[in-house]
Amino acid sequence: MEIRSTDKESFTLVYDGCYRVLIRICYHVVYNMDIAEDLVQEAFERFYLKNMTFPSEDEAKYWLIRVVRNLALNHVRRNRRESTMMEKVRQRSSGGANARDAQKELDESETIREVRKAVSGLPENLRMVIILKEYGDLDYKSIGKVLGISEGNVKVRVHRARKKLEETLAGEEAYVY
Amino acid sequence: MCIDEALLTSYMDGELGEPYRTQTEEHLAHCPACRARLDRLKAISKMLSRDDVDEVAVEKAKSETASLLERKFFSEDGRRPAFLRRRIEMGLGSMITAAAGLVVVFIGGFVLFGTSSEQTSEIIPSYTVQADTSNVHFVSTQDRGLDGYSLEEILSYLDSKGYDVDISIKGLQPIE
Repeated sequence: MEIRSTDKESFTLVYDGCYRVLIRICYHVVYNMDIAEDLVQEAFERFYLKNMTFPSEDEAKYWLIRVVRNLALNHVRRNRRESTMMEKVRQRSSGGANARDAQKELDESETIREVRKAVSGLPENLRMVIILKEYGDLDYKSIGKVLGISEGNVKVRVHRARKKLEETLAGEEAYVY
Repeated sequence: MCIDEALLTSYMDGELGEPYRTQTEEHLAHCPACRARLDRLKAISKMLSRDDVDEVAVEKAKSETASLLERKFFSEDGRRPAFLRRRIEMGLGSMITAAAGLVVVFIGGFVLFGTSSEQTSEIIPSYTVQADTSNVHFVSTQDRGLDGYSLEEILSYLDSKGYDVDISIKGLQPIE
């Protein structure tokens, strides 16, 4: 079905189909829900205002993912220092209802912190591939289309990214098993 | 011979085509080392999935943004601002061009239909006000105010004008 971005029916279809994927991808680049929400909104505004036609829903989705990815990366580059500070404050302010919950939450947030550190530590070409794979639920073919690389290249990058993550997170396996 | 790790990754992601998928499954069935490697890869993926967004927050954000976009682009009253917004959002280059155009038109207007002082005076008659002794009149020309007269003088003045004035002092009864 052809998608016209200013047509209400098409817009709603794409919105319902893509919102969750877009916000998850965006969140895992900026690590802040409010900012992710704003950036995804901006992506949909651009989608409408550009008045574009796509041959399929998937093509519209790839376009939106590309826009969100660029917006998120630009945001991170601009606000690198601020976002780190906000993240620190946010983590400090989280607390549990009782001691056991608190401990569990501490372990959980510790794991999350390690994961974020490991993912953020990846080179950008590997990082984006793994975010699209793990949080965008995209297959290799779709990732290739979004990033403009071949499927074989995606395969190699996913493998390298997992390998690096495994090395970084090796000390954290206690939380997994 | 054991499976290449890149192949295992593809297998885990469900991206391995036949016949490699069946071959990998057969190998995994009798190779504990490869199963352990696959488990490790799965564990990494599981760990990453722990850092996920809160579904409730996503749903909330989704409906909030949806209603905002709906208002902005698809509601009847929303169309006008959206249209205006689209017109306003132009590149720096075209904005500079537009500004330059406005300046040219503005200056051009003066050059073509320009204002000489004669034309101005036809439209707006000149009118100047200068305050001097000829056009300013003092309301009072006397240097003596009402305070300068005694009560008797005031009374005799009023009497001469035909008024009958009766004056008494508070708290004192007039003598009968």
